Amino acid sequence: MKPAPLDHVRATGLDHAIETLVAAGEDAKILAGGQSLVPLLAMRLAQPTTLVDLGGLRELDYIRDDGDTLEIGAMTRSRTVETSPVVAGAVPLLPAALRYVGHVTIRNRGTIGGSAAHADPAAEVPSVLRALDAELIASGPRGPRTIAARDFFDSFLLTTLEPDEILTAIRIPRQPSGSVVAVEEFARRHGDFALVAVLGAAHIDSSGRIAEVRISIAGAAPTPVRADAAERLLVGRTPTPELVRAAAAAASDATDPGSDIHAPADYRRTLATVLTRRCLTRLVADTERTEAA
Amino acid sequence: MTSQQLPPGLIGARTRRKEDPRLLTGRAQFVDDVVLPGMLEAAVLRSPHPHARISSIDISAALTVPGVFAVLTGHEVRDACATPQPVVWRMIPDQRMTDQYALAVDKVRYVGQPVAVVAATDRYVAEDALGHIEVEYEVLDPVVTLDDALAADAPLLYEDWPDNVSCRQTIPKGDAATAFAEADVVVTETLTYGRQMGAPLETRGAVMSWDPFTDHLECWMSTQSPNLTRDLLGEVLGLPVDHIRVRTPHVGGGFGNKFDFYAEEVLAALLSKRTGRPVKIIEDRLESFVANAHSREQRIEVSVAAKADGTITGMRGTVWAVLGGQLATVGIGPCWLSMALMAGPYDIPNVEATVVGVVTNRSPYGSYRGWGQPKANFAHERIIEKLAHELGLPANDVRRRNLIPADKFPYPSQVFYYDSGNYADCLDMAENAVAERGWRKRCDAASNEGRALGVGYSFHIEISALGPSKIMNQAGLQHSSFDEEVVRIDSAGGVTVRTGLSAMGQGIETALAQVAAHTLGVPLDSVTVLHGDTQTNPFTGYGTGASRGAALGGGALLRASTRLRDKVLRIAGHVLEASPDDLEIADGVISVKGAPGGPSITMRDIGDAAYRRLDGKLPDGEDPTLEERDVLDPDNVAFSYGTTAVLVEVDRETGRVDVLDYLLVHDCGTVINPMIVDGQLHGGATQGIGGALYEEIVYSPEGQPLTTTFMDYLIPTATEIPRFETLHMTTTADHIPGGFKGMGEAGTIGAASAITAAIEDALPDLTLHLARLPVSPPRLLDAIDVATASKENS
Repeated sequence: MKPAPLDHVRATGLDHAIETLVAAGEDAKILAGGQSLVPLLAMRLAQPTTLVDLGGLRELDYIRDDGDTLEIGAMTRSRTVETSPVVAGAVPLLPAALRYVGHVTIRNRGTIGGSAAHADPAAEVPSVLRALDAELIASGPRGPRTIAARDFFDSFLLTTLEPDEILTAIRIPRQPSGSVVAVEEFARRHGDFALVAVLGAAHIDSSGRIAEVRISIAGAAPTPVRADAAERLLVGRTPTPELVRAAAAAASDATDPGSDIHAPADYRRTLATVLTRRCLTRLVADTERTEAA
Repeated sequence: MTSQQLPPGLIGARTRRKEDPRLLTGRAQFVDDVVLPGMLEAAVLRSPHPHARISSIDISAALTVPGVFAVLTGHEVRDACATPQPVVWRMIPDQRMTDQYALAVDKVRYVGQPVAVVAATDRYVAEDALGHIEVEYEVLDPVVTLDDALAADAPLLYEDWPDNVSCRQTIPKGDAATAFAEADVVVTETLTYGRQMGAPLETRGAVMSWDPFTDHLECWMSTQSPNLTRDLLGEVLGLPVDHIRVRTPHVGGGFGNKFDFYAEEVLAALLSKRTGRPVKIIEDRLESFVANAHSREQRIEVSVAAKADGTITGMRGTVWAVLGGQLATVGIGPCWLSMALMAGPYDIPNVEATVVGVVTNRSPYGSYRGWGQPKANFAHERIIEKLAHELGLPANDVRRRNLIPADKFPYPSQVFYYDSGNYADCLDMAENAVAERGWRKRCDAASNEGRALGVGYSFHIEISALGPSKIMNQAGLQHSSFDEEVVRIDSAGGVTVRTGLSAMGQGIETALAQVAAHTLGVPLDSVTVLHGDTQTNPFTGYGTGASRGAALGGGALLRASTRLRDKVLRIAGHVLEASPDDLEIADGVISVKGAPGGPSITMRDIGDAAYRRLDGKLPDGEDPTLEERDVLDPDNVAFSYGTTAVLVEVDRETGRVDVLDYLLVHDCGTVINPMIVDGQLHGGATQGIGGALYEEIVYSPEGQPLTTTFMDYLIPTATEIPRFETLHMTTTADHIPGGFKGMGEAGTIGAASAITAAIEDALPDLTLHLARLPVSPPRLLDAIDVATASKENS
């Protein structure tokens, strides 16, 4: 478990990083926390000729509240995001989901941008970005561009980033005040990748109707799944157990899970149903509790 | 049962472990910390195919990689070795042996089998060079599963065998046929125990230095069995054992894996001989999943014949051992033990059990904590549960009716004599403890909230203190199993114990120090325990395994220390002008019994009298120095036992199982250190929980291992394990000085049985009969669905 020989370039600035990436061609990899890449290197499953290390780019390490949106630099550590009061106030679903990412030591090293760009469909960050309609900002030799989350995740571990582009920031619309969030994750052990996780956010108005609801599902398709049909069933309605069950079934229908040694596809579909129901039930209960308080 | 009772003192004290400050602050030395001048590092090229013929190997390109010193292939290794890789357990005389070498010669039989090995300036270069070795394979059809191997037209792993069966043996007791013919009820079950392995935090490793002028081999190895290793290296390499010195630094977890003798130590030795430099080889985590001994996987068919009142009159069973592509060091050993102990703690007059060893294209099957016993336990406890269900009786009533009564010891089982025990008391104690803790009330309360909690029990026995060497030889062991210990008091009264046992985190330094300090009457801090060097330390037969270290090492040391104490008292009596019989030793001071403030002499003075200023102090006829050695080759093994009770919660919608509470009532004879025993039980139980719910080595239908990282091979972590509670009983082993029994493996044995019973108890409306481990959430959900459908159809 020793990496093959490679050139390690510690970027001194974003422009330097992009130049290095362009010069190295398709055989370069970006190091942005290393929690997934370093094991792949050690097992020689990835053998890049050049490693572009973004670890020194303080310019990509920030959390900025722009009012309607929250912008987070790609090199911001997951633990920093998780514990930020600014993030908790603007997009509470993100810290709620980050608590399920590996263990604290992993979140201390891993970055929000690294997780997004790695595009593991079982990971929490991509699902949060899908649920909240985030935008991802990338920079390359042709300048910066903005990509909607729904267009960013292409397939298993694949994004629509070009090989010479670097993800620099994510921008997430502020959740409406009074939003409740819930994450229902089923992993074999604490800290493991989810077999399936359902991430939900809702705003239920004072009359008890669902004004807004967002549901995304991790681990149940080659990309994070946004449960649009389930959301449409719920919006404008007053939640009842029957409605929640119907929405859960609709959410499960939106999944396209694969089979692996930990769970067959059918099992993941069952989990999607059960976890969506539990997630929605929690959202409703939390709203009621908040109102009672 | 009291002849080995010891007076209270350091034996039995819950003292902190002497080794922990070193281990916990990162100051302990492990094999990878050994760095020698000029040392090279090796890496192994492993077969990517489960079953293939090696057509050719071209190492020329690898040899030109800068920094590469040597590359070895199978033919060179075979020519350099005096014998194939050894198999030390040969219980079945007509077993077909596999006789393989450290590198594959002509044919590979599992993914990960070593094919070539490189020594280079460092591990990076060595791994680079592996990519330059060209191997041409003729790929053969793989034999991946037990059924594949037993199929009529199965490809043969060994073409000179008629089939893929390495061995078969049936051991009868009484007349099972009549028992089954006359039974009121017969229940049968087929069980599948998943393939698992121990996964020590420190992977295996060795540093070998072959002196080209003297042919002496210096070895540093992470091994549980340094003396056995030395003997086996001598056999394989054709070296006299006095040319071989095995040093064992701290072992970062052994779990049986490091009892076995592997290819890598032979390869590093040969590479050192070839290059004239020391060679280090460290198994990395990725390799460990194919190179470390696999274990546990069996199919077990088990039946019992019983009377309507639950009395079991007969048992039949067949253990199908899913061996790998070649025999590991312990051969059929663990699977044979599953067969030999299938009747467990029960007084069953008629038993007929069979073991069949079947080779497959999987990694070799070797030692893992518990050896065959977790599987034997799963067989007898699952069938007890099923019988109880069939008869409509509580399972513990069926257990109680069949447990061997205390007055029947020593009890002749199929193979062994169980030495002593109060089994029924142990089960009672567990049931009472569970009642006191209100588990059943918690189940009822949860049920009212729509949650499913359940309580499950198992009863286990554990063979320990292995064992009487000649009997083990008769059983097929190609080695001894006694233990030798040496204890010395130095010129200043300090005590040094020398042991051949390995320190692998189990606390052997502390346990032996307690025995010596207790017996000699000195403070614990004045005892130093030295281990880990075959050149300077005593010979321990077998190794640090089979739950024998504390029992046999402790017993031998107790006898040696007792004789040394007698000498101390003789010298003290001479100096104090008192009869030795009137003296006592406490806290390193020898004084006249019942005369506080009277004349006394310290252990330091005794040391001085025996080594330095002898005149006027050392009695005439007494030799200078203070040293004793003892060898314990016991008359019998010793059987520990215990009851496991667990409280689980089952999520009926997902099949998830959480272990909420865990209680062990245990008897290992005289306890040397209850804190160490508790820790051993908890650690073993954690591995048992892993085997019951999480851990499984999975192969693809094509024979590729799919669990090669800890992301896929799921070891329970701190968040998955419950709080453990242990309660102790003491039934001494009266044939072992001190009355000690071993308990290193106990925790692993009964876990899966208790957990599966608890899951079934949590779902009382369903008939589950869980028969396959591990009980993963998808498997349990499937079982729930099947049982629900069957209930609705009935």
